[in-house]
Amino acid sequence: MSIFSRHHFFQNLVSDTQHFLRSPGLVAVTSVAWILLLLFIVFPIGAVLLKSFTVNFPTVTIISQNNLSSETESEKRVTQTILTALKPLEGVEEIRPTTTEKSSVVVIRFRTVWDDIRGLNDAKRALKKADENLSPYVEKMDFKLGQETIKSFATYISFFSKKYYYEALRNSIVLAITTTVLVVCIAFCFAYLGLKGPRIIRGPLRLLGLLPLIAPPFLFALSLIVMGGRQGILTKAFMLPFHIYGWPGVIIAQVITFLPLGYLMIENVLRSLNPNLDDAASDMGASEIDIFFKITIPLAIPGILKAALLVFIISIADFGNPMLIGGGVSFLATKAYFLWISESNLEMSAVFCVFMVIPSMIIFIVHEYIIKGKKYTTIGGKPQQTEKRKISLKIFSPMMAITTPVSLMIVFCFGIIFVGAFTKILMIDNSFTLEHFESPNGIRSLMNSLRFAFSSALIAPIFGVTLSYILVRRRIPFKRVLEFVALLGFAVPGTVMGIGYIIFFNSPPLKLTGTFAIMVINEAFRNLSVGLEAGMSKLHQIDIAIEEAAIDMGASSFKVFTRIVLPLISSALVAGFLYTFMVGMIAVSAVIFLISPGNHLASLYILSVAEEGFLGMACAISVMLIIVVLACLGTLKLLAQYTKSAIF
Amino acid sequence: MANGNGSIILELKNITKRFGDLIAVNDISFSVEKGKLVTFVGPSGCGKTTLLRMVSGFAEPDDGEIILDGQNVTKKSPNARDTAMVFQNYALFPHMTVAKNIGFGMKIRKKSRDEINKEVKRLLALVKMEGLGERRPHELSGGQQQRVALARALSLNPKILLLDEPLSNLDANLRINMREEIRRLQRRLGLTIIFVTHDQEEAMSISDLLVVMDQGVVKQVGSPTEVYKKPSDEFVANFVGHINFFPGEVIAFSGDEMDLKIAQGNLKVKRPSSPVSIGNRVKLVVRPESIDLVDARNELAGIENVIEGHIEVAMYIGSIIRYTIRAGDQTICVDKADPQHSDIFQEGSRVKLTLKKEIHMFKA
Repeated sequence: MSIFSRHHFFQNLVSDTQHFLRSPGLVAVTSVAWILLLLFIVFPIGAVLLKSFTVNFPTVTIISQNNLSSETESEKRVTQTILTALKPLEGVEEIRPTTTEKSSVVVIRFRTVWDDIRGLNDAKRALKKADENLSPYVEKMDFKLGQETIKSFATYISFFSKKYYYEALRNSIVLAITTTVLVVCIAFCFAYLGLKGPRIIRGPLRLLGLLPLIAPPFLFALSLIVMGGRQGILTKAFMLPFHIYGWPGVIIAQVITFLPLGYLMIENVLRSLNPNLDDAASDMGASEIDIFFKITIPLAIPGILKAALLVFIISIADFGNPMLIGGGVSFLATKAYFLWISESNLEMSAVFCVFMVIPSMIIFIVHEYIIKGKKYTTIGGKPQQTEKRKISLKIFSPMMAITTPVSLMIVFCFGIIFVGAFTKILMIDNSFTLEHFESPNGIRSLMNSLRFAFSSALIAPIFGVTLSYILVRRRIPFKRVLEFVALLGFAVPGTVMGIGYIIFFNSPPLKLTGTFAIMVINEAFRNLSVGLEAGMSKLHQIDIAIEEAAIDMGASSFKVFTRIVLPLISSALVAGFLYTFMVGMIAVSAVIFLISPGNHLASLYILSVAEEGFLGMACAISVMLIIVVLACLGTLKLLAQYTKSAIF
Repeated sequence: MANGNGSIILELKNITKRFGDLIAVNDISFSVEKGKLVTFVGPSGCGKTTLLRMVSGFAEPDDGEIILDGQNVTKKSPNARDTAMVFQNYALFPHMTVAKNIGFGMKIRKKSRDEINKEVKRLLALVKMEGLGERRPHELSGGQQQRVALARALSLNPKILLLDEPLSNLDANLRINMREEIRRLQRRLGLTIIFVTHDQEEAMSISDLLVVMDQGVVKQVGSPTEVYKKPSDEFVANFVGHINFFPGEVIAFSGDEMDLKIAQGNLKVKRPSSPVSIGNRVKLVVRPESIDLVDARNELAGIENVIEGHIEVAMYIGSIIRYTIRAGDQTICVDKADPQHSDIFQEGSRVKLTLKKEIHMFKA
């Protein structure tokens, strides 16, 4: 946009709009898309934002029906008496009297966190004391509980003034920084050794670096609990005086969970480095250590930074790991959940959400509009296939010292889940059993999960791919805004989307909370971006001339879409379906706010049985989820191979 | 206008197209006769593809009218126009077989399956692709894909066939074969074709009529010989083949001849058809192959228009030898066909150049 003047911007907007309005079909489809996106992405997020700026006060309204003969004066006197009686009340913010004909109405507004029932009883008691002054005039007295909502910064102020709240933000930032640093270092070692290490360890390191991808997001927390929890096998076996809950548990669990993310990005940038550069440096007398610190690391910095940013935002918004293994330490996402579920303090939850959204929004915008599309490697030409250099021991040994324990940990975590799933009670009764797989609740939740994941996986890619076609191929006004909004559902943390849905869909005409549909809609709209991005990249590969050829042959826009475009981008649809399905199977953070009795999901069921101590059952359901995820990944891989070999 | 040979099938009237501040096509008018092969030729960015896309309907002109067979189609969408396009990269539908590709347009028009099959078979034979109907596009060579694209475009009997740089993705030999084949097919079926290319040699060899374009305007419309022999200006002269320019001044007239003063001396040439008067500055346009060359030691008594110079570079290109000759401040390019050992001048040797009396020129 920067190369265009403002004048051009408006000129383009006008001509785009004129062009757009000429095809009614396009207008219809685009309008529907906008409505859905506004309803299911923008408004819920907006609702969270608005909510964070409101304060709710409990109120008690006293309506006294007066019985006065003629003196209008005494209406006021009754009100005055009530006011005097209420003076000693505790927790009062404001008392507002209004006097109408034959009745006195007094509204008592209590402080935000004041218990309204206590306020009501206090008020009743106070008025009873003044009974003698009132009873002659009062025919009937009614008390009503209520709420008053006011726009204010009060919730933010109380967030920063109470450690109870702000420590969650501080903890989450400390956690995110720690996790990011650890993930980047470990992922770098995995990636470096996986590419340049001795041949025998390359394969296993690549596999281990990616293995955590197939795990439900809290699997590692679960296996850490099995090992080092209060009843953990290691805790018991060695009579350890401590357990894994709290900081160490969350950090280890997050590091392993997010390792593949860092690994993928860093491996990508390391792979793109031209090996000739190493040769050149070596030719000029640089040692292996020199090459590593002066060539490899500086060139890999962009990839490392990108990985760090991503890990940071995902860590700060993570729900599953802190939920399961966080112990008494409070973090943003979990605290937001507890504020809602146990204190009903949606306003404070909303404030927590705002603090989770800010970092991810900043990074999302930076990524979408600054980094995207820029190439990092500055070396042109085809990298020459050279003899791979032998890795120096000075680099190899410290890296091995890092990767080995992490690898063992990953293997052990998976192992313990599988062992735990087939063992009666680990360390107590080590006999083989299948009973954990047979719990009816577990199976029911798994069926629910399948239903849930399948439904959302049907909606998301169809909508996403259709959107991608409009965005890539059609001239519509505000195209960039539409794309931004569609990707927003993915960029905003699940906890925020969950709370947003609760706030926005809790009142008529869109009262959807408590239904299965709202869970599906939420999951689908959070995963729009998969079908959208896949569709867009596929469409960019397809020459527009192919569609023009069809138009030239007399096909209408609709025929072009159904006969030419859809068959060509069907792989994007299938990829979108499988991915959304997979993610749906292991979803936690948003749906936990939306589940209702009877709609329990496997991933959440694991959480609850693990908290209740039925670890075997938790392991068994995890194993089933892993199998489903593996099946999806396998199909995706087959699909990728198929589409590469055929057609294109 | 009645249909028949020589009648106008396409008429462009004052076509203008802008992209923002850029004027891609500027007030272009001309017409295309039925059964002719017309080529839009020019450097990249000259507007030739934009013009073609306006004829096919993929772009709408900001101003002007497009009349196809007596009908104003300016506002008609491509699927409602009787034109068919062969795209630069063929744009074959990758998910359909060759036969399905060719039959696509007929299927859209709801023709019966038998009819489609019969027609597809005929078209496959026409482009010499018999028996390859069940292949997929990615299983074909570039030349074969080209044939399929051609057959697909012909399937709807378009009034005009539009070819957008159709040969640019083929290698050199195949390119020449394909262009001859397109020409043969066009003659045999009496097709009207608009052909877009940036390759002047291709344009010269294939066309009935050339439309030379530059920066959105038509520089010259004419047969290949006209354009080559009598370019309308410096750009056209430069664009089609090698050229030498001699800036000069008219100094005298004698009968149907006139005297010119150029940097290397005086010349006696035929008077041009356009009026000139004494004192006018002109530019003479001389193709490298129309200059005679002899050793400087030869006496050329009674022969006019002789310039002396010496060979700077001699480049042997097989069928010709190309000399770069310095004469005064100017270098002159001279081609000699069928060079035999005896004719070859060594670099550095002095030579005499003879210009013909009939020289094309335009006002400077």
